[in-house]
Amino acid sequence: MVKVLLKFSEEITDQPVTSQVIKEKGVTINILSAHVGQQGGEMLVEIPQEEAEGVIEAFRSRGVKVELRKLIKVDKEKCFDCGACISLCPVNVMTYDEADAVLFDEEKCLGSTCALCIDACPVRAIKLII
Amino acid sequence: MSSRELRTIDEINEKIRKGEAIVVTADEMAKIVESKGVKVAAKEIDVVTTGTLGAMCSSGAIINLGHSDPPIKINRAWINNVEVSHPGAAVDLYIGATQMSETEPFEYGGGHVIEDLIKGEEVELRATAYGTDCYPRTRLETLLTKADLNQFYLLNFRNCYQRYVCATNSRDEVIYTYMGKLLPHFGNATFSGSGELSPLTKDADYETTGIGTRIFLGGAQGYVIGEGTQHNPKNRFGTIMVKGNCKKMSPEFIHGASYTNYGTTLYVGVGIPIPILNEGLAKKTGLRDEEIYTEVIDYGIPRRDRPAIRKVNYKELKSGKININDKEVKVSSLSSLKGAKLIAETLKSWIDDSKFYLTAPVERLPTDTVFKPMKQVGAVQFVESIVHTAMKCKEDEEVKSIAERIIRHSINHVVVVDDEGKLKGIVTSWDITKAVAKGKDELTDIITRRVFTTTPDEPVEAASRKLAQHNISALPVIDREKKVIGIITAEDISKLFKR
Repeated sequence: MVKVLLKFSEEITDQPVTSQVIKEKGVTINILSAHVGQQGGEMLVEIPQEEAEGVIEAFRSRGVKVELRKLIKVDKEKCFDCGACISLCPVNVMTYDEADAVLFDEEKCLGSTCALCIDACPVRAIKLII
Repeated sequence: MSSRELRTIDEINEKIRKGEAIVVTADEMAKIVESKGVKVAAKEIDVVTTGTLGAMCSSGAIINLGHSDPPIKINRAWINNVEVSHPGAAVDLYIGATQMSETEPFEYGGGHVIEDLIKGEEVELRATAYGTDCYPRTRLETLLTKADLNQFYLLNFRNCYQRYVCATNSRDEVIYTYMGKLLPHFGNATFSGSGELSPLTKDADYETTGIGTRIFLGGAQGYVIGEGTQHNPKNRFGTIMVKGNCKKMSPEFIHGASYTNYGTTLYVGVGIPIPILNEGLAKKTGLRDEEIYTEVIDYGIPRRDRPAIRKVNYKELKSGKININDKEVKVSSLSSLKGAKLIAETLKSWIDDSKFYLTAPVERLPTDTVFKPMKQVGAVQFVESIVHTAMKCKEDEEVKSIAERIIRHSINHVVVVDDEGKLKGIVTSWDITKAVAKGKDELTDIITRRVFTTTPDEPVEAASRKLAQHNISALPVIDREKKVIGIITAEDISKLFKR
């Protein structure tokens, strides 16, 4: 199971987002805690490991900000922009900027549910935050 | 195309001295040639600078330690637990980039030692010797920085391949290669080389690069000292051998690196200046990414000659996506494109600031070398030479009847197939024993469905590696349609090697 923090903004609290995702994905989500009102709020849930990628994408496509409990941390001192991680990432966390430097959008990361890039970095600049 | 000489290297150096030489980076040259044409570009531009910052495994550094008291003639030595070799007399050591640490293999190696020394860090040297009348000492332990070394030279016997291939993987498992991590079923692709910035791609006929060519190496000035090993000019896989003073290098352009399950290596920054002596050189240095081609190669096939899937140009590679078998596949570089550009720009600024002068090669790189395959004694053994008939069953067969067949034929593996003979899974005698112990009668409960397989044309060495890697004892042999041809076991392989 993967623990995930769902952040709902005020704009989407009138929609049955969680039910939609559960129905769409046919998945059981274990709600550990929930504090959602008219002004928005947060929900901590557990999703089965093998379903996590799709479910997270489904929440994100509905405007929910998803924070995984385990994310990556990039040591930009070590990183020298080789790009070995880019083709491995299923959610495009890494991209090149105009000067071919590698940019990391850690917010998109699936963390420990994916971790494909971790052992592919030749200078070990990417670490999972446990 | 006229190859009439437009200028000489001496004339260019005179312009550099006066600060009047017109220098552009190779990607800028591509734009100039595109917009103004070859003739104008050739007339205007004196020098084109190139760059690449990639993993170059055949790299290393030669160091001289000075003599200890009493002196030692080193027999074996280690720096930070990485064994270093002793190619010469008493205290000369060669740090090979791919030699791995004995305490942290795959994570720390010779490449890291070189980087740490260049950074100014202290390293730990251990050495042993047999002792002689003139060199009585047999053990040595000391701490060193680069300041303590007499010579500390990068001495790379193969760098800077003219071009590299793009790698992908057809297998149904992740593979870890010198081309990085490759996901199953063509899940990604990787490439190396900087395309329109790449040094030998631009001096494709080795007109200006040869022995004695002064270059950018690791952030300092270095030299080409000849053709690199495996130099293969006829197939446009030229290489160079280089040398440079590590004491002057910068850790920005030298990185020790770890490729998981492959080993350690060294990223080396190399930049070569190309003097535009004639229009032909203007045209070649003006090549754009879309005009520079390489091949997509299937690294899933563990052979010397791996199959090429398609041709691809560097513009497509740098776009981040290529098409493989009608599927869009993410592709990314293993060498730093930002670093390549920075190297070409740094070399340009050195020339602009009259800190770097060009040299004419004392001798050009050979254009007729042939890169021969290894001479091997004995033929390669393939799976087809040891495959034998597999015991097969269907999914609806009872555990008890399979148990009886296993005993009757004294075998350990039963392959599960469908009505067309296609592989569905495998059951071992151990699975059956467990099923009986737990009172399970249904075969479907105990089948292993994720089965590692081999094909008749796979070398036995490769199949043997699969067995060891996955800690299994047999591989079903299948054809292209996944139909089961037979099976090979660890026992078959050990019999073969005992012959």
